[in-house]
Amino acid sequence: MAKVQVLNVAVLDNPSRFGNPFQFEITFECMEDLPEDLEWKIIYVGSAESEEYDQILDSVLVGPVPAGRHMFVFQADAPNTGLIPESDAVGVTVVLITCTYRGQEFIRIGYYVNNEYTEPELRENPPIKPDYTQLQRNILASNPRVTRFHINWEGCAERMEDCENVDPSSNSMLPPSCLPGKAPSLGILPDNSMDYL
Amino acid sequence: MKLLKPSWVSHNGKPIFSVDIHPDGTKFATGGQGEDSGKVMIWNMAPVLRDEDEKNENIPKMLCQMDNHLACVNCVRWSNNGLYLASGGDDKLVMVWKRAAFIGPSTVFGSSSKLANVEQWRCVTILRNHTGDVMDVAWSPHDVWLASCSVDNTIVIWNARKFPEMVTCLRGHTGLVKGLTWDPVGKYIASQADDHSLRVWRTVDWQMEANITKPFNECGGTTHVLRLSWSPDGQYLVSAHAMNNSGPTAQIVERDGWKTNMDFVGHRKAVTVVKFNPKIFKKKQKNGSAPKPGCPYCCCAVGSKDRSLSVWLTSLKRPLVVIHDLFDKSIMDISWTLTGLGMLVCSMDGTVAYLDFSLDELGDPLNEEEKNSIHQNIYGKSLAITSTEAQLSTTIIENPEMLKYQQERQSSAQQANSGPSGARPESSAPKLNSVMNGESLEDIRKNLLKKQVETRTPDGRRRITPLCIAQLDTGDFSPALFNSAPILPSGSSMSNQLTSQLSSDSSPGQASSLGLRPGHEPMLTSPPANSAAKGLEDGVKSTLLLTSASKIEPMKALDSRFTERSKATPGVTATISSIVGLVPLDSRPKDGVSALKDLKSKDDTSSDSEDKMASINKNLSFSKRKPELLMDGGDGVVEKRKKGRPRKDKMAAPTAQPFTQISPPVEREPSRVAAPPAPVAALKLPTPSIKKAFSLQVSMEPSVFLEVENEVSLVAGSKLSQLRCSRDGRDWNTLLPSSVVTAAGSSDVIAVACQDRMLSVFSSCGRRLLPAIQLATPASALHCSAHFVMALTAGATLSVWDVQRQKALVKNESLLTILSGADTTVSQSLLTQHGVPVIGLSNGKSYCFSSSLETWTLIADKGDSMVQCADFRSCLPSHDAPVSSGPLAVMQGRNLNAGRLASRLSSTPHHLQQSMTLAFLENQLASALTLQSAQEYRYWLLIYARFLVNEGSEHRLRELCKELLGPVHKSAATAWEPTTLGLRKRELLREVLPVIVENLRFQRLFTEYQDQLELLRNK
Repeated sequence: MAKVQVLNVAVLDNPSRFGNPFQFEITFECMEDLPEDLEWKIIYVGSAESEEYDQILDSVLVGPVPAGRHMFVFQADAPNTGLIPESDAVGVTVVLITCTYRGQEFIRIGYYVNNEYTEPELRENPPIKPDYTQLQRNILASNPRVTRFHINWEGCAERMEDCENVDPSSNSMLPPSCLPGKAPSLGILPDNSMDYL
Repeated sequence: MKLLKPSWVSHNGKPIFSVDIHPDGTKFATGGQGEDSGKVMIWNMAPVLRDEDEKNENIPKMLCQMDNHLACVNCVRWSNNGLYLASGGDDKLVMVWKRAAFIGPSTVFGSSSKLANVEQWRCVTILRNHTGDVMDVAWSPHDVWLASCSVDNTIVIWNARKFPEMVTCLRGHTGLVKGLTWDPVGKYIASQADDHSLRVWRTVDWQMEANITKPFNECGGTTHVLRLSWSPDGQYLVSAHAMNNSGPTAQIVERDGWKTNMDFVGHRKAVTVVKFNPKIFKKKQKNGSAPKPGCPYCCCAVGSKDRSLSVWLTSLKRPLVVIHDLFDKSIMDISWTLTGLGMLVCSMDGTVAYLDFSLDELGDPLNEEEKNSIHQNIYGKSLAITSTEAQLSTTIIENPEMLKYQQERQSSAQQANSGPSGARPESSAPKLNSVMNGESLEDIRKNLLKKQVETRTPDGRRRITPLCIAQLDTGDFSPALFNSAPILPSGSSMSNQLTSQLSSDSSPGQASSLGLRPGHEPMLTSPPANSAAKGLEDGVKSTLLLTSASKIEPMKALDSRFTERSKATPGVTATISSIVGLVPLDSRPKDGVSALKDLKSKDDTSSDSEDKMASINKNLSFSKRKPELLMDGGDGVVEKRKKGRPRKDKMAAPTAQPFTQISPPVEREPSRVAAPPAPVAALKLPTPSIKKAFSLQVSMEPSVFLEVENEVSLVAGSKLSQLRCSRDGRDWNTLLPSSVVTAAGSSDVIAVACQDRMLSVFSSCGRRLLPAIQLATPASALHCSAHFVMALTAGATLSVWDVQRQKALVKNESLLTILSGADTTVSQSLLTQHGVPVIGLSNGKSYCFSSSLETWTLIADKGDSMVQCADFRSCLPSHDAPVSSGPLAVMQGRNLNAGRLASRLSSTPHHLQQSMTLAFLENQLASALTLQSAQEYRYWLLIYARFLVNEGSEHRLRELCKELLGPVHKSAATAWEPTTLGLRKRELLREVLPVIVENLRFQRLFTEYQDQLELLRNK
């Protein structure tokens, strides 16, 4: 079973202006002392159409994590507007919080995000070039989508080794932010995906 | 009988494999299949029992659900004390749950159901050893052990007092083991497996007692579970699926000879579960009818694959009731309430039924006392030792002194409770506060971002130290235990387990990534999209046009993002954290590899160290006779002597000077006096070899060192030896005409034995106290203590002199009496402060020579089974140091075996153990008396008194008090001594009295002696 259970994520400063940093207050519980840090990431989905436009807003290490219940605030800067397709600036998208341990993702928390103009006129007639200063970001905090993955908590030695042996070239092609443990070829199914109603 | 099917008890329609009612009857647990995992749920019993509670919205129905099992949960069982819940599942794990005190209601984050967990149950330990699905778990009586059985054909016994320690693994079944039951008396555990056998195992040695196969030969097909059950009186064991004349039965196995003459017949398909009512019943007395002493009987419920349930009374030939078509699928588990009148049944069809019986139907349940007396009659052992306390709670306290003592005791007990143990619900709040320095959670949350510690790792990454808001109350289980590598019976099983785990992780994953993913997609996407829309409607401003298809389309696309692993990441890298991933990419694989290597090397080293341990153990067993090891713990009298001092026994010499054995014997040096090569046959005991020089410390305070140098000078053809002594910096030395073989000393006297069999005794300042004593045979060992000198000669004789009074205490006493048997030798010898000689033998027995009785008395026997079975740990004084020190403790070894086997408390009949403990304690007292060890005498006296009080032996207690008090009125005729070993007996009585108070039953005794003591004091 998972050694780390996320008990709650509170979305702070919401709704807020588009340019404000994201703030999530994360409460989690750990069954036993973790020898390694947890790695948390906030990923902003720039466009529903393609993963190309995903941005990792930030990643932090969290540790040391002794057995017990802990909380921290994960703050990350707003997405780089230059990397968002103009057509997708306004509307519904998703922000993801993921946590990995020893390079393996074991939980993914997703929120719908709605970006809209606060001014009625702008809403009626949105400019062709999005005006990010006028955009308001609203995270649908009441409905997180939580997916849990079954990982090997005791270590990932063999898997990592495999990864290295099997496909080193593809690894080197991957952007630096992609850890080999998550390579899709390893395909670990979500062991426990919970959808809200 | 009332029948109810609470529809709200469900795992969303998934099968429920197990049900168990909490011992206090307020809740019950179910186990079964969850969404993608195994599921354990805890339910409130009140809505099942009462209609109005079911309708009351404020009374929660579900108390907690745990999704932690990775696969279907096959069994849930509460511990007898109700503190723990054990669950076993297809994920090969057994999890033990404990209620977490500090947390209020909460939901499972992100879970669909908005139902709050009213109670928080946390997994406190995971028991990993099985290599297949765990089918059944069972707590032993008194929760000493937890047993689990698995389709890997084994049964594992876990130490329930020290999870995750494994006691043993029972092997022998050749098929999937699917049911377990403990003998209520604790002597056996029985298991039933698919290999057509039911086996009974002894808890004494964990060997098989019986293998019953005959009733199962015909059994064909398989049932999911084979939950068998033992009757509450222990007389019958009833199996699940058995066959008789090609009809399915539940076989009754008699405890007496494991005879299989009777069975429960009538079910049309295999019996899956049998469960005895925990109560023993007797016939209900009809009003007005003459009370007839009816024979007590048991009640048993049988569930079957044929979906029907039958309830039997052992006094009736036919079932009390048979209920057909209660379920749509096979019955999986049955649980009775502790009152014996309620029963929950669960089924593969995912429903649960509750049956409520009346006393008229079942009979009058015997109360605990009557049940105990039945056990007492059959097994000579009461199951509920604690029951006396409950009865006594109503006893009136008759004496103000007594009341005072009782109150003091209670308050101190309360303090002890509220002190370190934070697990109690009452103390949870302050505990939480202590973690947060008195700040409320709200305050903390306000400032968390500012307050939290954020650092940068050397590679420039952000690292946040999370704020710990609550520690885990792991209760009895130390968290350290979880990290420590499990002790497995063999190294191989560990690696097996590891590899299987790893392979199972990766292989199905790969397969499913190809095959299952597409299947998942539509299932996941469509409903959430709608609900997302709904959610948005609620959450986002209503002006938003959500109905337009264009708005929903992207969401569908987005939905997949929630559940798929970070394919997200290969997108455009954010400008902010371009270095973020680089370093880990480089370092992690390496880490991984090195971790693997670590793991491997750990394996290696562990097996290495195991070998080493084994060899050390071997050494230990060889060197058992080495006094060094045994003496290590010695203090008191013994601490005056010095480790490393050459002792004269055979074993001591090699310990202190290993090389002397290798070097050729000393005979090459033709000794002057021609040390009489006494006839070899006469030399029973080894003598130490002569060394050129040696030194030893004979006393710590004042520190006295002895230095011996043999053959320092040659005068007139004779070699002189020098004895030098330094005491607190002051030196003296003296010359001896022969080589010194051995020396010893205390703070008062120094003794040396020479090669010419002369024994010389000096004062601490070097004055010769006695003329040289001629020994009959060479000295084997020499001891000094206070002003006593003890010599053990090679001819196996013992002498002790009182140097101060210039008197022999023991005169050439032969050891032949105690040296029975061919290879028994003296392994240890010592002299107490009071001049009592003690000899430890290689056969584990220790004797002391009592000069008043002029005989050898046995004071300790390591092999004595009584010592091993005596259980007086509950009587140990809590505030005192748990181990007494003194000659008795030295001879018996520090880690007195006592109570080592006593953990098998439930295996030895109670009355037997009680007698053994009593005998052991009385032995200890007598030995301490003979050894004149006052400290130890007092120590054991108090333990003895406490034991007598706990066990309620009034006669012995009274005799003890009488002896301690002595005659109130002095008369010349009485031979009563007011002191024993220098301890005033009445003072001892004053110490014993508070012990007596602890059992209210003895308040009269207490008052009696308390008054007399008062009387005497006033005189």
